[in-house]
Amino acid sequence: MRRRAALLSLLAGLALAAHPAEAQDKPHYGGELVFVVPSDPPSYDAHEEETFGVIHPMAPHYNTLLRVDPFDRTGTKPVGDLAESWTVSRDGLVYTFKLRRGVKFHDGNEMTSKDVKASYDKIVFPPAGVKSLRKAAYSSVEVVEAPDPYTVRFRLKWPESSLPLNLASPWNWIYRADVLAKDIHWYETHVNGTGPFTFVEHVRGSHWVGKKNPNYWDKGKPYLDGYRAIFISSSAAQVAAVRGERAHIQFRSFSPVERDQLVQALGPKITVQESPWDCVLLVAMHHEKKPFDDKRVRRALTLALDRYEGSKALSRITLVKDVAGIQVPGTPYATPPTELEKLAGYGRDINRSRTEAKRLLKEAGVPEGFAFTFKNRGIPHPYEPLGIWLIDQWRQIGLNVKQEIIEASAYHPMLKRGDFEVAMDFQCGFIVEPDLDLPRFLSTSDANYGKHKDTVIDELYEKQGRATDAEERKRYLRAFEKRLLDEEAHILYTLQWHRIIPHSSKVRGWTITPSHYLNNQLDTVWLGE
Amino acid sequence: MSRYLLMRFLLMFPTLLGVAVVIFVLIRVIPGDVVELRLAGDRGAVSEQVLNQERARFGLDKPVWQQFATWMWGLLRFDFGTSMWTGAPIGQEIKLRFALSFQVAVMATIVAVLLAIPLGVIAALKQDTWVDYTVRIFSIAGLACPSFWLGIVFILTLLVVFKWLPPMVYTPLWVNPWQNLQQLIWPALAVGYRYSAVATRMTRSAMLEVLREDYIRTARAKGLWQSLILSRHALKNAMLPVLTVIAVEFAFLIGGLVVTEQVFNLNGIGLLFVQAVAHRDYTLIQALTMLVAGFFIVVNFLMDIAYAWLDPRIRYR
Repeated sequence: MRRRAALLSLLAGLALAAHPAEAQDKPHYGGELVFVVPSDPPSYDAHEEETFGVIHPMAPHYNTLLRVDPFDRTGTKPVGDLAESWTVSRDGLVYTFKLRRGVKFHDGNEMTSKDVKASYDKIVFPPAGVKSLRKAAYSSVEVVEAPDPYTVRFRLKWPESSLPLNLASPWNWIYRADVLAKDIHWYETHVNGTGPFTFVEHVRGSHWVGKKNPNYWDKGKPYLDGYRAIFISSSAAQVAAVRGERAHIQFRSFSPVERDQLVQALGPKITVQESPWDCVLLVAMHHEKKPFDDKRVRRALTLALDRYEGSKALSRITLVKDVAGIQVPGTPYATPPTELEKLAGYGRDINRSRTEAKRLLKEAGVPEGFAFTFKNRGIPHPYEPLGIWLIDQWRQIGLNVKQEIIEASAYHPMLKRGDFEVAMDFQCGFIVEPDLDLPRFLSTSDANYGKHKDTVIDELYEKQGRATDAEERKRYLRAFEKRLLDEEAHILYTLQWHRIIPHSSKVRGWTITPSHYLNNQLDTVWLGE
Repeated sequence: MSRYLLMRFLLMFPTLLGVAVVIFVLIRVIPGDVVELRLAGDRGAVSEQVLNQERARFGLDKPVWQQFATWMWGLLRFDFGTSMWTGAPIGQEIKLRFALSFQVAVMATIVAVLLAIPLGVIAALKQDTWVDYTVRIFSIAGLACPSFWLGIVFILTLLVVFKWLPPMVYTPLWVNPWQNLQQLIWPALAVGYRYSAVATRMTRSAMLEVLREDYIRTARAKGLWQSLILSRHALKNAMLPVLTVIAVEFAFLIGGLVVTEQVFNLNGIGLLFVQAVAHRDYTLIQALTMLVAGFFIVVNFLMDIAYAWLDPRIRYR
């Protein structure tokens, strides 16, 4: 029965992937989209928050300078949002954006370059007492200028080809300059954007409501009359909400089992969209603790993993699927499968890999049955199944691994203290882009929990970031990846997370991407019959 | 009587102070803090500088005694502070949820009392007959089924059999009573059934004890009607332990319906409590603990008054 359900869901997903809804029908106007959000927003200011609990209910109130193309399944193609067009200087140091005219904030004031500059100044150069969590991603920006009301210019310290994608960040909402000038914390508790929906109501812990912005600058949009985000933390209650047709969709992800339940219960009333997810669990090995200071031991740990078989088994029960390198499969800088198979631990012949792992352990002087503790985060999915899988794999090369589960909220401090030998590490990105995903592997990064020091990695990172030619950049990235995952095996990648969105078949005009932070503006979404 | 009440009233304050000290210390012993949790997010890479800046904003960089003194000074002025997670005033956070939790507690209590008192009395009167056995099975089943499990059964039955689900968003009773009842009747029934099971057993055993008393025999010998014996002499005297159970359960329902609230997606105090602990939202945890403790203490105080009314022999020396 479960197999049949999975097959149905797959067919539904494939059907959608092959025929995007927006290509099939003409959008209908009207209706209220109801969606579930598994987390409540802490504050209303996306510049200083880190949770999708802010993006999902509030993104429809705002625009960003650029955005990711809402119909691009890789989520990596920047297109204009408030910017109508942009140009880059020959030396790659100046980006000039032309803004749309006639864009109004919900309070009726016109949006101009002054607002874009003030918003980016807050993000890139926050004054004392203002936190900006993604400030480091804009370290190449020297200054943001507003030479006239409809032009914004970014001057860089060095060329950075990823800048347009970085400016499409779903967090970088454009706020009103005058409001920020009066009270820079105003947006923590208030909403006033230029987006397709205006704010109606937020009841903490319960729901968030938005209604159609009749003066939206993109004429003809949005299609919906409004939306209602319902905060539900329990995954069983989320499934029940979709199954009971009280909600149309949940934009983060459901598990494979939950997908199958919904498909089985609702049949054609449900459509499933799936994608590799820009989240991955990594294994950090503490380079200052023996024997993990020895790269042979670290390589043995990655060589022991049968990722391909693991993928088949684990993808049935938890949120992981693809075997991948440092970038999400299907995205521009992803590792081609043939290249991937050459990396330690990614070969198809697992017996050969494990023989090599045992040889390396012996050569490193690690005794037979060497024991260590693996610290894992106390979150059921996908941490626990992946932890069990890793332990099983390591046992097959003679290692005796004890798992210690650390309560979720105490986990990050433990990693930062370096209080581990081997521990599960985690990363989730909002756009698949090497400049956003890889800084954590630099020797100086606060998130380099394994504490490796590798100047080669640092140099390769810098070179790929400054390369203006895509092919050249790919070469640096492959070298970076080989060094990180194979030659030095500083860290292990487990399996790419897999995003599963079963939603009401009435929901049209929404395309899944690898990030659960993208495509939440809802301007293209409509409800079919 | 007034001295008794005054003593009971004054005892409330050291109790609350004890709760305040215990909760303040305990939550600081748990590893992890609100700043790390809020800013580390899924990406897990935030600079130490940003974290320290935030800790300073919440006053978490100050010595623990100073943090306690600040909190106590706020409490004395009924200022609970702001939530470290949302930045919203604590009073606002609680007010939002209290109405819902209070209504569920009241409805569950009504369900429980309506079931427990008649069933307990009937079971006692018909001791060791099929009626008694049926009531006992009913009440033991209630004790054996956790209310959240019963809640899941309700939800699944409504969903699978009737293809219907209660509303997901709370509507106050005075705004739309029908919508409100559609949402809250199910948790009230699930919780009320378990609650009634405890009260039924207590009513039965208390009634059995009272019905064996000499004054009941005397009343019967005097030829009083059975209904009068029951209502005026037996039930009133059997009510003391039953009232205690009902009161304690009622107070518990204000903050204790954690899982049931999750099952029915109720935005109540229990769920808020869980989220506050998960987020290490110190100010909110402290305020909620004081609220629940205060509620228990007040309910107990009211019970003490009720005891004195029901049994005039109860007095403080």
